[in-house]
Amino acid sequence: MSSLPETPPEDGPQANPVSPVEPAEEKPASAAKKPAAPRAQKPRQTTARAPRSTAASKSGGTSSRSSSSGATAAKPRTTRAPRAPRAKAAPKAKPTPPPEPVPEPKPTALGIRQLYKRFGGTIALDGVSIDVPEGSFYGIVGPNGAGKTTMLSIVSGLLRPDSGEVVVHDVDVWKQPEHAKRLIGVLPDRLRLFDRLTGAQFLFYCGTLRGLDAGTVKARVNDLVAAFGLEAAVGRLVADYSAGMTKKIALAAALIHSPRVLVLDEPFESVDPVSAANITEILQKYVAAGGTVVLSSHSMDLIQRICDRVAIIVAGVVLDSGTADEVRGQKTLEERFVELAGGRKAAEGLEWLHSFSE
Amino acid sequence: MAAQLLRVKAPDGRQAAASARTLGLTAAKTMREAFADVPRFLRLKLALLGGAFRRSPWQVVGLVIASLYGIGMMALLVGGLVAARFVPDVTSVRSIVIVVGAAVTTGFLLLPLVFGVDDTLDPRKFALFGIPTDRLAVGLAAGSILSVPAIVLAVCALATVVTWSHGFWLAVLALISAVLATATSVLAARVATAAAGFLLDTRRARELTGVVGVLLVVLISPLVLSLSNVDWGARGFSIMTVLADILRWSPMGAAWAVPADTAVGRGGAAALELLIAIAMLAALWLAWRALVAHMLVTPSRSGEVKTYAGLGWFSVMPATPWGAVAARSLSYWGRDARYWVSLVMIPVIPIIILTAFAVVHAIPGTYPALLPLPIMVLFLGWAAHNDVAYDGTAIWLHVVAGTTGLADRIGRLVPLLFIGIPLIVVGTAVSVYFYGDAHVALALVGVTVCELFVGLGLSSVTSTLTPYPVPKPGDSPFAQPQSVGAAAAVVQGFSLVVIIVLSAPAIVFGVLGVFVDPAWFVSSLWAGLVVGALALVGGVVGGAAIFNRRGPQMLDAAVKAA
Repeated sequence: MSSLPETPPEDGPQANPVSPVEPAEEKPASAAKKPAAPRAQKPRQTTARAPRSTAASKSGGTSSRSSSSGATAAKPRTTRAPRAPRAKAAPKAKPTPPPEPVPEPKPTALGIRQLYKRFGGTIALDGVSIDVPEGSFYGIVGPNGAGKTTMLSIVSGLLRPDSGEVVVHDVDVWKQPEHAKRLIGVLPDRLRLFDRLTGAQFLFYCGTLRGLDAGTVKARVNDLVAAFGLEAAVGRLVADYSAGMTKKIALAAALIHSPRVLVLDEPFESVDPVSAANITEILQKYVAAGGTVVLSSHSMDLIQRICDRVAIIVAGVVLDSGTADEVRGQKTLEERFVELAGGRKAAEGLEWLHSFSE
Repeated sequence: MAAQLLRVKAPDGRQAAASARTLGLTAAKTMREAFADVPRFLRLKLALLGGAFRRSPWQVVGLVIASLYGIGMMALLVGGLVAARFVPDVTSVRSIVIVVGAAVTTGFLLLPLVFGVDDTLDPRKFALFGIPTDRLAVGLAAGSILSVPAIVLAVCALATVVTWSHGFWLAVLALISAVLATATSVLAARVATAAAGFLLDTRRARELTGVVGVLLVVLISPLVLSLSNVDWGARGFSIMTVLADILRWSPMGAAWAVPADTAVGRGGAAALELLIAIAMLAALWLAWRALVAHMLVTPSRSGEVKTYAGLGWFSVMPATPWGAVAARSLSYWGRDARYWVSLVMIPVIPIIILTAFAVVHAIPGTYPALLPLPIMVLFLGWAAHNDVAYDGTAIWLHVVAGTTGLADRIGRLVPLLFIGIPLIVVGTAVSVYFYGDAHVALALVGVTVCELFVGLGLSSVTSTLTPYPVPKPGDSPFAQPQSVGAAAAVVQGFSLVVIIVLSAPAIVFGVLGVFVDPAWFVSSLWAGLVVGALALVGGVVGGAAIFNRRGPQMLDAAVKAA
């Protein structure tokens, strides 16, 4: 995975002088549709994450994998403006060379505070608070019916909470929805798509609805289609897609406006292993470039492997959250989850199952 | 069973008698076994029917009203059939019973094919229980008797026993025929439903069934037209007799004809009809059993996948949010059969109206030429009043993308403008040609523009404020949504009434222009344009404001309807 730290962190200061050069490079390059990702200029992270400059130079390369970061690069610069102040703050942190975990708190990308939601007599969320730092890969796990989808729906603006607030990069989702929705990319679970459109039409639709101009949308659609391996399917109606392909195109649609936070409900459900690996790589690059991913899944292995932070939700309450290592301690995430979720029921009383009828 | 028969028959003559006895026993045992599950299936069907009453109060109210209506109809029919016993003209009663009976049985066969019924007792749903085919086939056929149409039919068929109770043996024969006719109808419906569900399993085919249905209506309208031109008062019974003499030999009418022909003294013909009826029932049973056996091992098919090049409407419309919504709506109006239902009715309207007027000669002169266009546009303007509901839960995309209400509202109206404006232009020209006075064009344009714009403005509000459940994407356009409340009827009625009320000034001025003074035509035009424009702008702006606030509620309504 190219986004993993290949360059020693000491390169940070060295890479830094390069970054002023990059904007100069970028202007001629932008005509070539694949400039260095603008995100690359913000050396926000001081930890061992991939230095921006390397990620950018890689994405400027040829592999089709890089197309997602290429797509983000095409975003108009105006939306980048809010990030400028942070770029100033970062150089202060730069001179500290030690690569060891620097306890300097990263700004919050997604703040979920005291969410309550009830449906009739059942309480779906009972005061959920989660803090997702910028640039993290955040996994939400919980048993069936724990309130994961409810929480993610509220975060993405699809469901009104009874009380509590959701803040995305200092923008309140329920008070300034127009602004907040531009910052979020959403993949809901079990909701239909406009499936009487072909794959290409659907992606184009999502892009233009987000206010992108035709040229940008077409370029990004091509990149996304290549990145998700949907080339053969773009001319078919989404209604005729398999479940995994539908998931992939919905995920591609969530990325098309290069959001700063991705909210993904069960992104890997019914996706084949090869596609899942592709998607993981795309998301990891996105995170490496400063994006934030919040996803829910039932696959503990997957969460343990790709997420750096985890929250365990049971019955509408966050039982534990923090870095993946903090949460699981000495155990695997699965063991810790089973422990928190109330333990397994011993498989007793099914003896008849072992005396076969015919 | 075939294997058992072969095994029993195999021994030679010495054991013939014994094997015959064994055969009889085996057959009886098989029969008993085949019917073993019948009570269970009847209970299942009862539970399914009862489940309908465990929904929201409004739906129960609707069901109770429907049931009362059904019971009332049934009482009328039974009363008529009993009264027919005392009509001295037995020949006429015979003709009517045969013709109506054959029509009803044909209806049981054809309606599932046309409307693609949602089958609660689809054999495939029982594939995993490992029930022997015979038992399943018998059980499912028996279970389907417990449905409202089948019960009404059974009661009416029993009532014919009274109709033919001119003698004891005739009544017995009538009873046998009634059972035959009911069984034939119910089994025909089963076979047709299974065949429809099986042959029309692909999404595209499912969507087409409704359109085929509407086309059938259009195709048989000439038949209805010619029948309605008949002078029924004078020649009605002779035509019925001719029809009855043909239909009694048909598999659909034979069972109904047996007691009827016996009653008028045609015993020989009746015997032959009885044979035809029994043969029909046997054939239906074999077909049903074969279908069940086949469906149990054939899960479901997937249709051929069509590919489309390019972006279609998206490359035509501007690449802005409203343009995208418009392109999406246009694609859906072109691809989704659910939208066609409202459109396909529109060309049918003038045919029906003109036919009706031609038959009854109610309005003299060329005045009827002015009627079809305003009525067509009325329904066109009304067609989008529930537009958001057709998206289903896919509306989440508009909510998540922060689509402004204005872009959404305007985009959704574009297809109707694309259809409506050419319709008004061409329709006005055609109407004026047949009416014979060009001045009336002013009033026609005023009225129709007003109707269209008021309809679109109103749709902009109602589709976001009061979406009600519709068939899901991919279902047959006539499939019953999981839950239909009284809300649907209220919204439909209300929006039609509002369109008519707001168009009333233009309509009234237009009527005055036709009957009093052509000077009123100009008033009609202006009244129509002004009211229409105000309603359109007001509706779109108001609807946009509501849309901006109600994103989560609209999604919630869609999730509940799904």
